Amino acid sequence: MALWTKGRAAARECGLDPFRSTYAVLEGASLELNGQPVLKDITVSLKERRIGLVGLNGSGKSSFVRLLNALRLPTSGVVRIFGQPTPDCAADLPKHVGFVFQNPDHQAIFPTVEEEIAFGLTQLGRDRKSAREEARAFLARHGCAGLVERPISTLSEGQKQLICILAVLVMEPQVLILDEPFTSLDGLTALRLSQKIAGLPQKIVMVSHDLTTLAAFDRILWLEEGQVRMDGVPGDVLPAYAADLERRAATESWTGSSL
Amino acid sequence: MIATYIPGASWLHRCPAGLKLIALLVVSIVVFPLTNLWMLTIGLIGVAACYAPFGRDAFVQFKRLKPIALMLAFLFGFHIYLGTWTEGLAVLIRIVTLVLMANLVSLTTRLDDMIAAVEPLFRPLKLFGVPPQRPALAIALVLRFVPVLMSIHEGLAESYQARSGRRRSWRLIAPLALQALAISDHVAESLAARGGSSGLADTRMRR
Ligand SMILES: Nc1ncnc2c1ncn2[C@@H]1O[C@H](COP(=O)(O)OP(=O)(O)O)[C@@H](O)[C@H]1O
Ligand SMILES: [Mg+2]
Repeated sequence: MALWTKGRAAARECGLDPFRSTYAVLEGASLELNGQPVLKDITVSLKERRIGLVGLNGSGKSSFVRLLNALRLPTSGVVRIFGQPTPDCAADLPKHVGFVFQNPDHQAIFPTVEEEIAFGLTQLGRDRKSAREEARAFLARHGCAGLVERPISTLSEGQKQLICILAVLVMEPQVLILDEPFTSLDGLTALRLSQKIAGLPQKIVMVSHDLTTLAAFDRILWLEEGQVRMDGVPGDVLPAYAADLERRAATESWTGSSL
Repeated sequence: MIATYIPGASWLHRCPAGLKLIALLVVSIVVFPLTNLWMLTIGLIGVAACYAPFGRDAFVQFKRLKPIALMLAFLFGFHIYLGTWTEGLAVLIRIVTLVLMANLVSLTTRLDDMIAAVEPLFRPLKLFGVPPQRPALAIALVLRFVPVLMSIHEGLAESYQARSGRRRSWRLIAPLALQALAISDHVAESLAARGGSSGLADTRMRR
């Protein structure tokens, strides 16, 4: 318990304010990876409850969301999360910004469901026994009581992704980032999980190619070659994006190297 | 060969992990110098009897001896050849007893209890600045990713077979290693996203 309060004190020290409604501000943020520009001079503030990210492969969506939890730091410009520049508060961000990766097999760290969920709680300073009990109660609250003892490797794809989402939610972040979370799921499972996500109290930033799901979001950012091509409500951005895809498929000739 | 935990409520499940590990150690030490076939047999029956709570599944567990059956047969054959079949039988019973007992411990002990039981052994690592929970995390990661790597290997083998007509090849070792490295990058990222290997509570050990 003492350790847990110390963690909280550290969050206050770095001046991060998790109740600020504008949770992320990018000011001229650029990112280079191995000398290649990946994000170029992006300036946006994020405060809407559900924000969707669209764009072609390689347009920088994954890199963009990684700036939001300091998995990547901007090469130039500033990224402020809850008011603090990311290098300063990087160590405390996992508590406030949860991240769900595309492939559950790359995210789950522990052999069984219960351990995977309990891990987040021990990270926050709970002892093993109470973490385990809380993890069980949490799983039961989310209709997963039957999965508690299961090895992750025996779960279905949908169950794996749900557990990965719950493993992040159990740490009670204010913001939840999802990077193409439904790519390996069938339509029904994807629909069920996106309903679950829609009902969460967290602010959501989701990368997705599923324009139907994104239609219900509050704001869409369209990234193209590392820049924001369009930013607005889904009613404006999604039709423009879809039309652009159609236009390019119809008019641009392509080679293997342009895919 | 070694089974993973099967949830249950038998007396063996309730028995503390440390005690089971010590019992395993003690039995190993006692059984090795023992040559009396009768006593060895009684020991084996004793261990086999501990499988009773698993009922029918116990026989499934006994099948886990299959991978070492060949080695046992070879050992026994060798002893017969040397004309020391009683010694061969003793070796056979000893190994089977210990494998069954080790299997029983892992069947009835949750991984994190097992790790907690061995964690004190890692405490001296603190002297070198390594948090004692690191080795525990490493063990968990190995157990988590063995099935993942097996299924990746399965996928590579299928893809190889689909285009070569042959099953299994040493050529798959390189792509498997590359995929393992790629996964380790992803998992490192996932661990960092949830606060890293030393947790979020203790600010001193970070970074
Ligand atoms: N580690 C890396 N090193 C070099 N380039 C990278 C790295 N990761 C991604 N990139 C490049 O950055 C660009 C954006 O990638 P990414 O953010 O993953 O896009 P998206 O998620 O939209 O597909 C791509 O051109 C990709 O090749
Ligand atoms: Mg991506």
